Amino acid sequence: MNGIRKAIGLAAAIAIAFAMSVDAEGSAKAKTDITILIGKPEIVEQLDLMVAAFNASHPDINATIVPLANQNMMQKLTVLYASKNVPTILNMSQEFPSFKDKLLDLSRESWVKHAFKGTLDTVTEKGKVLGMPMTVEAFGLLYNKDVLDKAVGKFDPSSIKTRADLEHLIAAVEKSMPQGAVHVSPMDWSLGAHFTNVLFADQSSDQAKRLAFLDSMKAGKVDLQKNALFNGWLDTFDLLKAHNANKASPLAPVYDDGVLALASGKVGFWFMGNWALPNLREANPKGTFGFLPVPISNSPTDYGNAQISVGVPAYWTIDASLSTPAQQDAAKIFLNWLVSSDEGQDFYVNKFSFIPVFDDFRAAPKDALSVQIVQYMKEGKTLEWMNNRYPADGWPTMGALMQKYLGGVIDRKTLAKGISDYWKSVK
Amino acid sequence: MSIYKRRAEGARDFAFFALVPLVAFLLVVFIPFLLGLYMTFTDSSGLSLSANFMGLENYAKAVADASFWTSFAFTAKYVLVSVLATNALALGLSLLATAGIRGQNALRLGYFTPNLIGGIILGFIWQFLFAKVFTSIGTLCGGGALSESWLTSPGGAFWALVLVGVWQNSGYMMLIYIAGLAGIDKALLEAAQMEGAGYWTRLRKVILPLLAPSATISVFLTLQRGFMVYDVNLSLTQGGPYRSTELIAMHIYNEAFLYQRFQTGQAKALILFALLAAASLIQVGLMKRREIES
Repeated sequence: MNGIRKAIGLAAAIAIAFAMSVDAEGSAKAKTDITILIGKPEIVEQLDLMVAAFNASHPDINATIVPLANQNMMQKLTVLYASKNVPTILNMSQEFPSFKDKLLDLSRESWVKHAFKGTLDTVTEKGKVLGMPMTVEAFGLLYNKDVLDKAVGKFDPSSIKTRADLEHLIAAVEKSMPQGAVHVSPMDWSLGAHFTNVLFADQSSDQAKRLAFLDSMKAGKVDLQKNALFNGWLDTFDLLKAHNANKASPLAPVYDDGVLALASGKVGFWFMGNWALPNLREANPKGTFGFLPVPISNSPTDYGNAQISVGVPAYWTIDASLSTPAQQDAAKIFLNWLVSSDEGQDFYVNKFSFIPVFDDFRAAPKDALSVQIVQYMKEGKTLEWMNNRYPADGWPTMGALMQKYLGGVIDRKTLAKGISDYWKSVK
Repeated sequence: MSIYKRRAEGARDFAFFALVPLVAFLLVVFIPFLLGLYMTFTDSSGLSLSANFMGLENYAKAVADASFWTSFAFTAKYVLVSVLATNALALGLSLLATAGIRGQNALRLGYFTPNLIGGIILGFIWQFLFAKVFTSIGTLCGGGALSESWLTSPGGAFWALVLVGVWQNSGYMMLIYIAGLAGIDKALLEAAQMEGAGYWTRLRKVILPLLAPSATISVFLTLQRGFMVYDVNLSLTQGGPYRSTELIAMHIYNEAFLYQRFQTGQAKALILFALLAAASLIQVGLMKRREIES
């Protein structure tokens, strides 16, 4: 009995000694803990590597990622704020208007004056800059350069200026792939947000006129069926539909099917954005890809036939309502590290395949697709992301309609009526 | 023992067993329900409670939304089919699993296992099966109905949802029916057998009437589960194709979090609660009358 008591006493003493020594070590280096909420499933592994590299070079900060994991960002933010358990850094896009009064003012950060013109507009409230643009993303008609080179011999993207040009190119490519040269993704966000953007952005090169068009859609003053741009836009969609490699079951493919189809060269074209580049490179490390505009008419000078849609998809913001000043400083250090240090810029440009939106970036994208996007941006051949101005139920509603049209369930007249009715119901 | 001491002991027993679940129920279910009720009469959002009273405006908007009733009708159709199918299958499985076959305990475990898999994973597995495996088998067999994924048409997606729901729930309901079968007095069955009743007559006249309490519970559970399905809906069809398989829980969730209309979303949730409570009360009331005390 005595022996057991002595053994227990000794064990307890050792345990306490261990606990105290660990505690002493912990309190000597007080780390600031920051958490980052981001929902970008294409670069999950690269984000983890970036955070590990940041933590290694900043021993007094411990950053961890809170993944969104395909949840709804609006729900996630609402739940986190309601439970007072908010991450320090929030990467958000269309949720910004609901949460802007809780965010930190970043106007005095060094990157603000280096940001490209127009990228700070959505996050500037009453002169205060509340977010850092993450990157610009572009979407258009992605093509597999190797497939096109084999079909027409050294393909030149500037040779495609009209729908007729595109049709000839597709026909040439289809000689080697009779089942269809195009992959049309049926996801409602792809059709309802991105493909419809071509319709609303091509309305005019003047932003005021584009916004006025949206207003007249809301007032019900637009007869889409008589709108030449609408018909031209649908004619191009019909062209893509006709050469769809999945035309037997157009609603079946998922996002990954498109990645594999384009990367392996089973199709030559895929309407998607450059966020797919990390996935495409994983599927085919030696592949080269490029962007074509989506032409909506046969007149080469029409606005939109030579442009690809480019916009800021999301912003890094820092929560000011529940984070401590130490955490806010650590978060600012993180954001600065990402865009101004060599290590951060390497992750930004090479691992995430992001296009820089700051004019003092030393690292430049090296892959053909990003270089091409930068060229389009330099030449001003960009279309605004009008989909950022849709109401929250815009892309699901229009996406469902486009899916029905893709599946052949409704015709052009019903589609036009559906889109018009939706915009008329928007307040 | 004095009455006060007995009451104190009773209260202590209650506190020991029921206090923690009661507190949890109040905090997680009851109080948020009251808060939600309050929210529907104001213009509160998910982030802040406001005090601007709007009367019944939110309810009026919720009721006027045609897509709410379309989704509700679709859910009612789904519930009707899946309740009938689940209970029929569960009854059949329970009779099989108590028939005295060798290894019937392993069978029971096998039938119950789908219920243990979470809804999201279940939906992903079946989505892969429908979209890739069945279509491959279909094309190998030379085309036909199987070569096109069920999930690309509204009718096919409906039956896919029913299939996965029945597969998930019938194991659990089977256990309820097994418990009910175990409670039937063997003497009654022996007496019926001696009077010359065959298996089917025994089933119809003795076993099924005595299984009525289990049926009440099972139908109630499948009804409630059917109306509340979200995870399988999300991972199997995502409401597609073109939002034709949006069950009512997904419709309400999207209303609040995707379209950011919190007030009408909460109003719709409370309308669903009222309808489901009415349906359950009617169902239990009707079925309880057919129960016989044995």
